[in-house]
Amino acid sequence: MSLDRGVLAELERVVGAGHVRHGRGDVEPYSRDATPVFRGAPDVVVWPAGAPEVSAILRLATERRIPVVPRGAGSNLSAGAVPQNGGIVLVLTRMDRILEVNPEELLARAEAGASTAALADRAAEVRLLYPPDPGSRTVSTIGGNVATCAGGLRGLKYGVTRNYVLGVEAVLPTGEIIRTGGRLWKDVAGYDLTRLLTGSEGTLAVITEVTVALVPMPAATKTGVAYFRTLADAGRAVAAVITDGIVPATLEFLDAKCIDVVEQYANLGLRRDAGAMLLFGDDGASDAVDRNLLRIGELCTANGAIEVVLAEDAARSEALLTARRATLPALSRLGSLTMLEDATVPRPRLAEMVDRINEIADRHAVPIATFGHAGDGNLHPTCVVDQHDTAAIERAHKAFEEIFAAAIELNGTITGEHGVGAAKLPFLAARLGADQVALLRRIKAAFDPAGILNPGKLGS
Amino acid sequence: MTGDGARGVFQPELLDRCIACGFCLPACPTYALSSDEGSSPRGRISLMRALETGRLDEDDPRLREESSFCLGCRACEPVCPAGVQYGELLEQWRDHQWRGRNRPLLARLLIAAVSRPVLVRAMGLVRRPARTRRADAPAYLMLGCFERALYPNVSRAASRLLPDLAVPENQGCCGALHAHNGESRTGKEMARRLGDQLPGLIVTTAGGCVAHLAGVLGPGRVRELSEHLVASGAAPSGELRADGRRARVALQDSCHLRNGHRVYAQPRALIAAVADLVPVPGEASCCGSAGSYSLLRPRDSRRILEPKLDAYEAAGVDYIVAVNPGCLRQLQKGLRRRRSRVRAVHLAELLTAAAGDQTRSVP
Repeated sequence: MSLDRGVLAELERVVGAGHVRHGRGDVEPYSRDATPVFRGAPDVVVWPAGAPEVSAILRLATERRIPVVPRGAGSNLSAGAVPQNGGIVLVLTRMDRILEVNPEELLARAEAGASTAALADRAAEVRLLYPPDPGSRTVSTIGGNVATCAGGLRGLKYGVTRNYVLGVEAVLPTGEIIRTGGRLWKDVAGYDLTRLLTGSEGTLAVITEVTVALVPMPAATKTGVAYFRTLADAGRAVAAVITDGIVPATLEFLDAKCIDVVEQYANLGLRRDAGAMLLFGDDGASDAVDRNLLRIGELCTANGAIEVVLAEDAARSEALLTARRATLPALSRLGSLTMLEDATVPRPRLAEMVDRINEIADRHAVPIATFGHAGDGNLHPTCVVDQHDTAAIERAHKAFEEIFAAAIELNGTITGEHGVGAAKLPFLAARLGADQVALLRRIKAAFDPAGILNPGKLGS
Repeated sequence: MTGDGARGVFQPELLDRCIACGFCLPACPTYALSSDEGSSPRGRISLMRALETGRLDEDDPRLREESSFCLGCRACEPVCPAGVQYGELLEQWRDHQWRGRNRPLLARLLIAAVSRPVLVRAMGLVRRPARTRRADAPAYLMLGCFERALYPNVSRAASRLLPDLAVPENQGCCGALHAHNGESRTGKEMARRLGDQLPGLIVTTAGGCVAHLAGVLGPGRVRELSEHLVASGAAPSGELRADGRRARVALQDSCHLRNGHRVYAQPRALIAAVADLVPVPGEASCCGSAGSYSLLRPRDSRRILEPKLDAYEAAGVDYIVAVNPGCLRQLQKGLRRRRSRVRAVHLAELLTAAAGDQTRSVP
């Protein structure tokens, strides 16, 4: 479809002519997010400056039945921000003010387009921590994090984005501006719409402002590395740590292939002869952190670690974490098409799931490397192939279908943190069942009667 | 629309590297100005891909605009975990985009000026650059095209710091300007020719030339001044003083020196040896000079520069050190415009002034 001049003129009237672009070259960069393969060019890209402008745009879109896809930084990994049905891409990055950081109330308020790192940095200036730590934190927007319930490297001890959202300002597809929740930890007035909108992937409303909880900045943060012969050994070490009563802030794993590519990229001196690596870290009072890290090291050694190394200083810790965050792009160096999934299983079944993934990969003859959040049972099996090798891509798709099925069989899920988007929608019913999918559609219809908001995603 | 064929504008392996993770967005100065992904490295690669596959017409106005709006500073490269060689892609893009009459007139004039050795020498004659002959020396000082015309003192200062360097008179242009303005093949040929003229180690005071030369001749053949001083163990002497105290000095990185050649610690170490090195936010990002950019897009160039000058002034420095003549000119012009008390100098001048060079004080 393409938009008539009347719609473009109305959009320009709302946000100003300089903030509406619809040339073919102008919309091309908005035809994708960070997900491979999925594409769809929008008809027009619009940059609103605030909730009233968003409201006017959505009212117009509902009236004229034009699809609207909200977009933050476009770092989504489930094609959640791909405008497959054309229409309007609503970019929220002009709305990037951090409105307040309040040490007395332990909260921060920001417009949706503020970057996650900018918010965390502002909080850090007053010795407060915004715990969610998604891999794309330097890029992603806080609004996008809330809309997708972003996870990250600190999930085990601190939880994920949803555990920190106190309230949002959001615009309904019919134009109403609502404020859910607020500044309170205790507030049971009504259905928990804040939770419902968190992770709604831009299908129910456009989030324009968020209020998030902060915690006092831990005095110390330290990191260590343990190398194992096999991932199964690493899995046993993780179980031993948790049952010992330690909940570390970070507990990440890399398989041998991942260690290799990360080392090539970052030159950290990681052991390339190991079968698996655990990156563990904790924060809190300095002596307690030291104690926990020593104990984690002992438990790793007791469970077959071939070497345990504690990072000597903060810079080394940060380098290790940065390298872990870069695992995916580093893996991409192996080929021209990188497919990444995030199947998640209960923590004790992590090693079993990795075995299943390797067996499935072998059977379909596709190279799959796996890394992820051991503490959360959240795996990132990643397949890198040549983008022109259609047979390999087909085999990879089959392998991932089986991986999703295996995760569900082990009481897990098809996506732990990347979201459903367009990429995982076909597998959603297998996870939720027909009754829940039907309920999702009724909820979607209640918010978005014309079905204009991010069509072809959740609730469709 | 012509289907998904390949137009052959780009080397496919280079274009395939980008996985669109978006890690480059926060590093890009033009994305910071515009908030529009089309003006970011990831967005520009989307445009390049659309050009390559035929999804966009060759004369799409956004293709023209973005190939020119990009500073070519390559700040996206060090932050790219997938290893995208953006600088190479931009050269290939401009080769195509600025072919023939599509190249901006000013770029054509600039290239014409540096393409003729006679004219380059004539530019040098107007203001006498530092030239001596030491035929048996192991390394050569390269006289940058614009430096010899605008800043002959920089070459003189470099010569004083490194008296063993030979400074042959007969030198061509390194071709970086060509490579960055749509003539990458000529640019490479010129680099090779210069490599033949200066058949040993080439030392340059121009950060903008070194990455291009190293890319063609190999990193072993070329060193930037600070890199060479540190590598050869030449310890800077003396102290630079201002208002009766040790001078406060900040660095403006040269983009291609930092992002392409990955040299940034050395100039800082040298400054810190003779003055108080003051870290300033944004010191590592492009100053807007960007080769021919400040001439081709003066308005955007100033939008990039002004907030940086605010930061340098707020930091209360006496001097800003440049390691590339283009940056030096940009900083000096900007500081003069705002009648600032801060002065911009080249690293070579700063070091000779600290060493107590009586013949020439810091400007």
